Amino acid sequence: MRTHGRRSIALLVVLSFSILTGPAHAQDADVLRRELEALRQQFATVTQSYEQRLKALGDRLQQLEGRAAPAAPALAPPVTTLTGSAPAVDAPSLADLARPRQPFALAQPGRVLLFDIGVSGDFVADFTSATRERRHDGTFAGRENRLFPREVELGLFGRVDPYASAVVRISAGEEPSEGASSSREVIVRLDEANATLLDLPLGTTARFGLMRPRFGTLNTIHQDDLPQVDRPNVLSRFFGEEQLDGERGVEAFWVLPVSIYHELSLGIFDGDNETAFGRGSLRDPLLIGRWRTFFELEERGGLQLDASAATGITAEGHRNTVVGLGAKYKWIGAGSGFPVLTLAAEGLGSFRVVDTSGGDRHVERWGAYAYTQYDVDRRWAAGLRGDWTELPVERGREWALSPYVQFKPSEFLRFRLQYKHTEGRGVVERSADEVFLQGSFILGAHPTERF
Amino acid sequence: MRPFGRPLLCALAILALVATATAPPGAPAQSRLRVLATLPDLWAISRAIVGDLGEVQVATRPGQNPHDLEIRPSQIVLVKRAEILVRNGLDEDSWIDPVIESSGNPRLLRGAPGVVEAVRGLSILKVRTGLIDRSLGDVHPSGNPHFTLDPGTLPVVTANIVAGLGRLRPDLAERLEANRRAFLDEVAVAGRRWSDALASYRGASLVSYHDSWPYFYRAFGLEELGVIEDRPGVPPSPQHLVTLIRQMREQRTKVVLVESWYPTDTAAAVARAAGARVLVLPQSPGAVKGTDTYIAHMDFLVSALAKALGD
Repeated sequence: MRTHGRRSIALLVVLSFSILTGPAHAQDADVLRRELEALRQQFATVTQSYEQRLKALGDRLQQLEGRAAPAAPALAPPVTTLTGSAPAVDAPSLADLARPRQPFALAQPGRVLLFDIGVSGDFVADFTSATRERRHDGTFAGRENRLFPREVELGLFGRVDPYASAVVRISAGEEPSEGASSSREVIVRLDEANATLLDLPLGTTARFGLMRPRFGTLNTIHQDDLPQVDRPNVLSRFFGEEQLDGERGVEAFWVLPVSIYHELSLGIFDGDNETAFGRGSLRDPLLIGRWRTFFELEERGGLQLDASAATGITAEGHRNTVVGLGAKYKWIGAGSGFPVLTLAAEGLGSFRVVDTSGGDRHVERWGAYAYTQYDVDRRWAAGLRGDWTELPVERGREWALSPYVQFKPSEFLRFRLQYKHTEGRGVVERSADEVFLQGSFILGAHPTERF
Repeated sequence: MRPFGRPLLCALAILALVATATAPPGAPAQSRLRVLATLPDLWAISRAIVGDLGEVQVATRPGQNPHDLEIRPSQIVLVKRAEILVRNGLDEDSWIDPVIESSGNPRLLRGAPGVVEAVRGLSILKVRTGLIDRSLGDVHPSGNPHFTLDPGTLPVVTANIVAGLGRLRPDLAERLEANRRAFLDEVAVAGRRWSDALASYRGASLVSYHDSWPYFYRAFGLEELGVIEDRPGVPPSPQHLVTLIRQMREQRTKVVLVESWYPTDTAAAVARAAGARVLVLPQSPGAVKGTDTYIAHMDFLVSALAKALGD
């Protein structure tokens, strides 16, 4: 009885399995049949095409041989290979043997390496007066009248697994040593190391780690992708030269499922920016939110708008809130995609409490920049930026005008020449003229350019 | 309560609200297909297959150079709303990856079932071998990606698309296959017309500005003499141009093809020096009015080239 029962169960299992897998097999067979047919068709087409070509070449050869014309110099054969074709059996020539070989290769065609590697180098020369150099109050404080590596960055990026991607950026740049004006150090630091979770529920994308948070328009742009040599004054004054960068925390963002682009992001960070926040603790976290939208205008135009807010605690233990509004318009010419006209502006407001001898004081400060750039073609562009900003804590304000030209021999190499005139009042009393020369290069992979 | 304070609570509340508000719509099982093609050629082909079973959008504008494309936020919306992505599969449209990662639509991530790579199963021309670096310009290491310019590749390309669409929507597989067959029949008829139009120019040598046409040459028995932009993305050296002009004179090359998104000045100078003429051609469907189908686009290319070679 027990044996009979077992047999019945086994039979049932086999029958169930057959019933369940039957349609799947049939589907597989259908798919295979279709693939086979497609391959047959392709094979027939390729064969026919090559036969026709062979015939045409044969006819042409006969014609040429029939003529008594002088022999034309041999043309280099096109570098045409077919994947899967038989490997070449020719022995290597002497030239082949003499050609230097790669000593070591991380990746070959077919991308054996499972992530991308890119190196960007950004070198700046800052020419200004001896007074500015002595006072160290140029745009690149402590590096006036020097050519210096502003940032040489090693970027590693790619997919972690089917559900996440990651990026790691390590940079080195020259920074003046505190107290010793003649001493400069190249500081190596970890700029970014974060993973993005791509497969979260409810259409959420989130990243965690060390990152450049989504705040404002230009703050999210890396040094080597900035539209001008230096960052606008308002960003440098409100967040320091490194901007709101290197924050540790978590950030989530959503693209709303509507026909017009709306992206909302929200981040919670330690608050490590010494200029604006600096508390550096999740007990008083830095919260950053941004809304960004985009409109396609006419055939060739696009307008991006963003509104941001960041609130956290300063190193002195007082709340600081910075809000920002940004707009960027770009018009792209038809055909070749040139000329390109860009108009952009961004304004920031800072609301913070500061210590004074008479007790705490609420300080409200504003600043903004606007620029326009005209890309004549793929290689040449010219632009003008205007800055106006108050200082975030002390009394003082400054404005600046910066015309510039840009030359890009290729997508991976860029040179800029920029003149900057700055007028400061209050504790930044100065009238400064500076000329910047910038050379940037990209080695290897680089993320795609964004609007 | 004090340490995190109200801001954190507010933030979490907003977070929850937004997450709920942006929840994806319900199961799309019986809805119309929502297909996104990365490039206009794949858009035209996909539309022929999908027909009235759904809508097919394209992530690039017709006539836009896909080689140095700048990501626009509007593309993120297209990706967000699509359930199937048809991509080239070589380096031509790798710019779509960061767009997908920004969209919050994991169905279109590389390797996901919602992604169709049109190139699968095709023989790729000009796969680079040996040392590859940027001294060669912005090369396509995986091979030349302009394969749809050879109508002979369409049986495989369309089979890939139908297989991908059918994978997600088995209920539509038969109708998609029927559309595919009808489209291939039309292409076969048009193909005879194209072959006839260019039959008398078989073996003719051609020069192009960018290396976009090897599959087109193969399809119609034309010969590639050279490429002006010998290192993609880098202006050609005078030495290269001098050599090319000499070869063009020797081979009596009559036409220099220039893709409509490239400047014509260098090509015009080369053509003038070699006694040839410049023919500006759109490399993708839709760039010229009335050419937004695959067949209309190829009709335009073939007739324009036949006319230029016959003049």
